[in-house]
Amino acid sequence: MTSTVSGATPARLEAISRSELFASFLKMGLLGFGGVLPWARRVIVDERRWLSDREFVEVIGLCQVLPGPNIVNFAVIFGARSRGPVGALLAVSALLFVPVGVMLLIAMFYEQVAGNPWVRDAIAAASAAAAGLILGTATRLFVQARPPLRGMLTGGAAFVLVGILHLPLLWVIVVLIAVAVVAEWRASR
Amino acid sequence: MSPTMHVLAELAIRFSALSLVAIGGINAILPEIHRVVVDVQGWMTSAEFARLFALAQIAPGPNAMVVALIGWKVAGVAGALVAMVAACGPSSLACYYAWRWADRLQESRWRAIVQRALAPIAIGLIMASGYTLAQGADRSTGAVVLTITATAALAFTRINPVWLLGIAALAGIAGIA
Repeated sequence: MTSTVSGATPARLEAISRSELFASFLKMGLLGFGGVLPWARRVIVDERRWLSDREFVEVIGLCQVLPGPNIVNFAVIFGARSRGPVGALLAVSALLFVPVGVMLLIAMFYEQVAGNPWVRDAIAAASAAAAGLILGTATRLFVQARPPLRGMLTGGAAFVLVGILHLPLLWVIVVLIAVAVVAEWRASR
Repeated sequence: MSPTMHVLAELAIRFSALSLVAIGGINAILPEIHRVVVDVQGWMTSAEFARLFALAQIAPGPNAMVVALIGWKVAGVAGALVAMVAACGPSSLACYYAWRWADRLQESRWRAIVQRALAPIAIGLIMASGYTLAQGADRSTGAVVLTITATAALAFTRINPVWLLGIAALAGIAGIA
């Protein structure tokens, strides 16, 4: 089978130390301009090689259907997988609490610099690139995971219904999961 | 109860109740947070709310940290911590137990089926969120070029995204995008 993160915990995850876990999620939290997901994939898949692209997207898939911010859920599951409940707590803390301090500092000075045209232009342009980081991450995950035709159809439908038609996310998820599960079940028989 | 404690308790109760219905993340409950914070409690104006949202997008860290900013605006640093723990705590606990339960089904055929079904949908939803952000950010030809360049670079090279963001910011200052 393809999935290991969902199945038995691979030895490489159990070998992660608490400080490595904390440092990795801290890095994601501090660098995550315009969205943490591209950084999570980069750190976990490219730099640390803790998960493959396919394993990463399988965990993210679970995180998306559970309530709460996807990336916080990812920290909970990845942290728990490698170092149990303490690991989950460490990963979430690194992801949230230190960046919150930084963000409050930014917030205190933001009003003073927000009117500066240089700051405004730099942020506008960086936001355009940040959107590309997320689109590029999705493209890479797609290329690496190489879903079968039925997966391309449900994934394509998710993009069109939510991204272009702006239908309510909850209903799209419920309907598409039902369709996708039936399709996978038929294919597995 | 002192006024501050009262506000902190209000934040904790309101945000933890919303946490468990936030499927799709904080963005899914943002309209409801807006209703509570602006319309019901009158803690800030709609314009202030929009500014905090924009700030959370700009700042490092998960975009969900907008709830910490709201708490900070309402009740200072204590408000920021209470709001964030309330908004992320219950969903994180639910996530932990959901994973523990899923973990016990390791050998189940159904589990593999559901996981294979979810993966492509996850990619589609990530694509949708990137596309939505691009629509908001791409107000000029230069910005579109930046988005496309960053997309290609992330998809097909191993360049550090810090460079992409830095170059983009410089291009913005230079008036190119």
